[in-house]
Amino acid sequence: MEPTLDRKSRVALLVEHVESPRHKGALESADVVVPGGSPECGGSVTVYLQGDGNGGVEALTWTGQGDTISMGSTSIVVDRIVSEKLTMDEILAEDYDQLVDLIGRDIIRNRKRHATLGLSTIKAAVRQYQKKIRTTQPKTRS
Amino acid sequence: MTEQEILDKGYANPDALVSTQWVADNLDNTENYRIVESDEDVLLYDIGHVPNSVKIDWVEDLNDPLMRDYLDPEHFANLMAEKGIGPDTTVIFYGDRNNWWATYALWVFRLFGHENVKVMDGGRVKWEAEGREMTQDVPSFPRAEYPVPERDDSRIRAFKEDVDKHLDVSGPLVDVRSPGEYKGELLHMPDYPQEGALRGGHIPGAANVPWARAVREDGTFKSADELRGIYEGEAGLSDGEDVIAYCRIGERSSHTWFVLSYLLGYDNVRNYDGSWTEWGNLVRAPIER
Repeated sequence: MEPTLDRKSRVALLVEHVESPRHKGALESADVVVPGGSPECGGSVTVYLQGDGNGGVEALTWTGQGDTISMGSTSIVVDRIVSEKLTMDEILAEDYDQLVDLIGRDIIRNRKRHATLGLSTIKAAVRQYQKKIRTTQPKTRS
Repeated sequence: MTEQEILDKGYANPDALVSTQWVADNLDNTENYRIVESDEDVLLYDIGHVPNSVKIDWVEDLNDPLMRDYLDPEHFANLMAEKGIGPDTTVIFYGDRNNWWATYALWVFRLFGHENVKVMDGGRVKWEAEGREMTQDVPSFPRAEYPVPERDDSRIRAFKEDVDKHLDVSGPLVDVRSPGEYKGELLHMPDYPQEGALRGGHIPGAANVPWARAVREDGTFKSADELRGIYEGEAGLSDGEDVIAYCRIGERSSHTWFVLSYLLGYDNVRNYDGSWTEWGNLVRAPIER
């Protein structure tokens, strides 16, 4: 995927997301709450995920602090997952490189970790949710 | 804050700092000075910066892309030439996060023997809080002549072997990471184990003084008396000793290196840039929690 906007517009998009972050805030009804990143290096996020019990996402929010790339890209990713109603499996299949391309390699260069902080933590939350569902469901004999 | 207020803070080397007002007054003196912004948040310079400042990014500009090391002397000379910095240009560093990355860049400049370096006290946050001019215009300066320097890794940089020797004589170490990292409670982020370390904790005997304790709420450095209270009173360091500072990759500890070397005037402070990402992964390296 080639970035469709020029560098300045893509920087402006990240800044706009930092200034008006989407779906930011704690979620009391979350099934799993997963932290990621380092508050001292690049940024940290906490992902709040509530499943619909059927492989879909009921609600997804995040909190965090960090640089423009990590916070902007987290907001962009969460916004996309929520608005496109991605399933848990679709979230796990999300490609880090595509995200980097979307934001722009010219911006991210060697800070890929910052750009993928949000997505990697969301994936960790999905895996934790799926593990939780597996271990809490009653075992049936086949 | 004025230069008098910097003098009033009682530092060993007050010339190592300039005020935001001084920078505002000298923006156009680009013959003798070069203002360099160095940030954690690499996009801040794009969003707006001090007029006539240039950006130096520690990730892209100061690291060797292949070896875990800083750039080599040829690349440093070329970087200086590109930014219009000559060997006698005084470089004024500022940045986000209480000048954390600014002092890191300054430390790298010193490895190459660039001695005319200063920090804008208060950094980017103070400049912004005072409502001073910011621009998105990227200045261009004539290419400078910068002879290829020698890099001296012996005086202000420590390697793993130096830390080993330091442990043998119980030399003073200061761990400037957060208490959680120091105690071994925080390791790395999910999916990115390579960014962290296999084991958490600290180098045996290291005192823990989180780097940002050297800074006031407005981003300026604390006074010499306050700093001595922290580093000498609490952490037990003293001038004349051979001190090694470290953090995760050597960036936060360059801030503490600046405080101890310039503001308190310690003669022998080295920054161990291998830091926890090296020590915490090293086979048979002793660790305390």
